[in-house]
Amino acid sequence: MNNPYLPKLATIEKVKTETYDTTTFTLRLDDPEERKAFQHRPGQFVELSVFGAGEAPFCIASSGHGRDTFDLSVRKVGHVTGALHEMGEGGQVGIRGPLGNSFPFEEVAGKHILFVGGGIGLFPLRPQIQEVCREADRFAAITVLYGARTPEDLVYREELDRWQQQEGMTCLLTVDTASDGWTGNVGVVGTLLTKIEIDVSNAVAFVCGPPIMIRFVVQDLSNMGFGENAIVTTLERHMRCGIGKCNHCMIGDKWVCKDGPVFTYGQMREMTEFEE
Amino acid sequence: MTARMLPKNRIEEFVGRLLEQAEVVAPRRVEVGDVFYGAVASAEEVAWDYGHAVEPLKRFLLPQRETMLRYSTGDKVRVEAELDEQERVFLGIRCCDVTGIGVLDAMFGGDTPDPYYMSRRERSTVIALTCLQAPDETCFCVCCDAGPFLAKGYDQQWTSLPEGMLVEVGSERGEALVRSNDDLFDEASVDQVAARYRLAREAEQTFGDFKSYIAGAMSKLSMNEVDPKVWEQAALRCMECGGCTYLCPTCSCFTVTDRMEDSSGVRERHWDACLYSCYAREASGHNPRPEREDRLRARFFHKISYQWAQRNGRQACVGCGRCVVGCMAWAHMPAITEGIRRGVMT
Repeated sequence: MNNPYLPKLATIEKVKTETYDTTTFTLRLDDPEERKAFQHRPGQFVELSVFGAGEAPFCIASSGHGRDTFDLSVRKVGHVTGALHEMGEGGQVGIRGPLGNSFPFEEVAGKHILFVGGGIGLFPLRPQIQEVCREADRFAAITVLYGARTPEDLVYREELDRWQQQEGMTCLLTVDTASDGWTGNVGVVGTLLTKIEIDVSNAVAFVCGPPIMIRFVVQDLSNMGFGENAIVTTLERHMRCGIGKCNHCMIGDKWVCKDGPVFTYGQMREMTEFEE
Repeated sequence: MTARMLPKNRIEEFVGRLLEQAEVVAPRRVEVGDVFYGAVASAEEVAWDYGHAVEPLKRFLLPQRETMLRYSTGDKVRVEAELDEQERVFLGIRCCDVTGIGVLDAMFGGDTPDPYYMSRRERSTVIALTCLQAPDETCFCVCCDAGPFLAKGYDQQWTSLPEGMLVEVGSERGEALVRSNDDLFDEASVDQVAARYRLAREAEQTFGDFKSYIAGAMSKLSMNEVDPKVWEQAALRCMECGGCTYLCPTCSCFTVTDRMEDSSGVRERHWDACLYSCYAREASGHNPRPEREDRLRARFFHKISYQWAQRNGRQACVGCGRCVVGCMAWAHMPAITEGIRRGVMT
């Protein structure tokens, strides 16, 4: 019997510091067969083992197109992430996945695609942004709104620059609190919604960020006229097993790990435990 | 129904033969008089006349603590999984506990089978022993379609008659066990089969006034119509000891930890309880269920909502009554379903 708890070995190819507490680790699975079989879609996640420390879930932060490596962007916050941040290039980790469902793609072709990210909520959105950008002519427009607490908390700086310059794409940034040298927008990410033009009848919003940000942005989007199934988010829970067995990530009658982590606002409203 | 008789004087021989091929887990009386399921070395050790085992059978399929992986660290990491491949016969198991195995099967099987559980489960034979009278005043399997006799879910179901065990066969595995020990089994007579149905009716009548209003609670839970007061009041009582989840035949939440033994690592899983405050807490400190009432609601939703009953094939309470015995605060299944019905905890 296939053992879904058995991690595949992977090696850290590259370590890139994003901010003072977040780092992007580029990983490559060691076994060529496993590497070939590792087909992932934006929105999916993996369980990462730091041997000796433990295992924790992380979204895959890169599109799988044209590369046999993948990125995990990780904030140093706990036991496993702390141990991971001690590791350098060449270090060996374990990977289980890809796990969970993924963002709709074909279903949203032709629409204005709006991304709203808060803080490290940009991590799971990034592969979807990359894939939408890659096939930009299949979409009416692409807008990325991204906010962080301070300018020092903004992740993917170079990519943000590229998105801001890409033709047919709008990318607006904001910070909750400005620091010296910041000349951009100040305010929570929801305030950027007033600065864009969007035909909500042909648009879909992908939202990810801390729970409080998701709550207010979803309210703003609803007020703008976004239907509840035109708002898509990815939830984060304490996903221990990643395959719907341990029950830690359960919300109402759903496992975030197996039924999600991608849900529409409409699906979330049907969850008995969801608080608006 | 395929029914056989295992005459009294051949039970010992049959158990002896089982012991040659497998570990036999059966009810055993411990020194103070309580009965626990445990491995036996002979038929003599089996407490055939027992009422109720203190704990369910769960730990023999999902141990409280088990090793999932071992790995070496260093230059080249090596990871190995360990599976328990011991053949086991669960003998003389009460119907509520047999029904509980069915719920665990749904949870650990499905489209992503759990290899640790399934390895044990696929090597286990379940022989149920019917209850001829309610073992305890806290028993309410009759409210849960889980006893005192079963219609399915077992490999064999035994009913104790004066002349021996009436053996009902419920699966291919149960039939094979009869076939390979053909010399020990007789055909059951019509009277003996009739006795089984009469005893089942009589047994049901011995269950007392202790009830659990599962259906009504299921409806309200599933439609999100439970008065929030119920959870607030239950939360004031519950001490978050987790005893109900440990004693429940179907509670199977687990957590996973890594620890180092010299230079090699061990990944283990342990029983966990959704009532614990840190159960859903994330590394960031964010806790989706910070309040005890949130956790109580989530637990009972998982146990008896229509949504989860649909996913698992049945609701997850089997009426064994262990949470009633174990709970120090009257916040067990029947108390909660009663509270849901009345809109207030009584």
